[in-house]
Amino acid sequence: MPVNVVQQLMGFPISVDLRDGDRPDADRVFAWLREVDLRFSPFRIDSEVSRYPSVEPSDDLREVLALCDEYERRSGGAFRASLPGRSFDPSAIVKGWAVQRGALMLREADVTRFCVNAGGDVVTAGEPSPGQPWRVGIRHPDNAQQITAVLGIRDGAVATSAAYERGQHIYDGRTGLPAFGLLSVTVHASDLTTADATATAAFALGVDGPEWAAAQEGCLVYAVDTNYRVFRSPELPVVSG
Amino acid sequence: MRRAIPAILLTAVGYYLVWQYDPSPDTVTATDETTASPPPAVSTPSPSSGSTKTVQGSVESNEFGDLQVRVTFTDDRITAVQFVKLPRSGPSRQAAPTLVEETLQAQSARIDTVSGATQTSDSYVRSLQAAIDAKGA
Repeated sequence: MPVNVVQQLMGFPISVDLRDGDRPDADRVFAWLREVDLRFSPFRIDSEVSRYPSVEPSDDLREVLALCDEYERRSGGAFRASLPGRSFDPSAIVKGWAVQRGALMLREADVTRFCVNAGGDVVTAGEPSPGQPWRVGIRHPDNAQQITAVLGIRDGAVATSAAYERGQHIYDGRTGLPAFGLLSVTVHASDLTTADATATAAFALGVDGPEWAAAQEGCLVYAVDTNYRVFRSPELPVVSG
Repeated sequence: MRRAIPAILLTAVGYYLVWQYDPSPDTVTATDETTASPPPAVSTPSPSSGSTKTVQGSVESNEFGDLQVRVTFTDDRITAVQFVKLPRSGPSRQAAPTLVEETLQAQSARIDTVSGATQTSDSYVRSLQAAIDAKGA
């Protein structure tokens, strides 16, 4: 019984499209993401993130902190969860990590054909219909009504980092200034934790981001720079319209 | 004035040396195989992998060294570009990325979902994903 549910959580819409699951499967994912919002939001004074480091971190927060450190190291400091003059904010990592765990919950409940889209970050499993991959459009950086490419994906994840929705909200940790050089960068990987963290760090890196992301293990890239040039991995599973 | 003449001469010699300086003309052979095979060489690997074809380009030289690429086609699409030879440094190194460049397209093809920057509720309402969700409900 196909289910398609959309809810507004963590400040963005999340849609859960299950082709072989039931409503309770979708509800469990939303319950988990609501819990994540309460525990990891930097905007709630009683959240684990707001109380860190004065309160001992939970295992989940430890996992997020380790991911933050890992991507800070890999990007040479361009990605940073702690910027000077700002409170600790691991949101960029938390989103992909939390949605990936939601996907894992679906798999453990024997849901094999699904697509979860959390505010533009996508994780998929199986096929929407027999023999067809999930067709994941990459949004055109200038026009929300159009796409620039379509990826054909079965089990995998696609994350995009860009400034066209929320303005200059990604900072280059090396300079402390808003990142520049790219209009958008999309990363395809086997899991959303990797795809989302890599896309965010690549956007922070600016012009060097696409090549850096392509060099990360298991990552394929589709980037648009501020001169409207597209740079993509040759192996990216682009399907024609 | 007498001191100015040797100073100008030294400066001129210095400029000449800098102008003539060649950072590193030697070439790196990127892979162990095929160092100087007569290009272009075409090979079709396993027949099971469909119409995948690998073409090796000719060796091209510039002031920084030799450059040679190997391109893999699957059907009519480039699926891989590898460097067989690459100069050790200089501008051609910077212009040798692993990514392919193409022009930005705008299309409205059939899709199941959209990947984009984290949306606000406002823009979501106007966006494609809202249309897809509405259609699926």
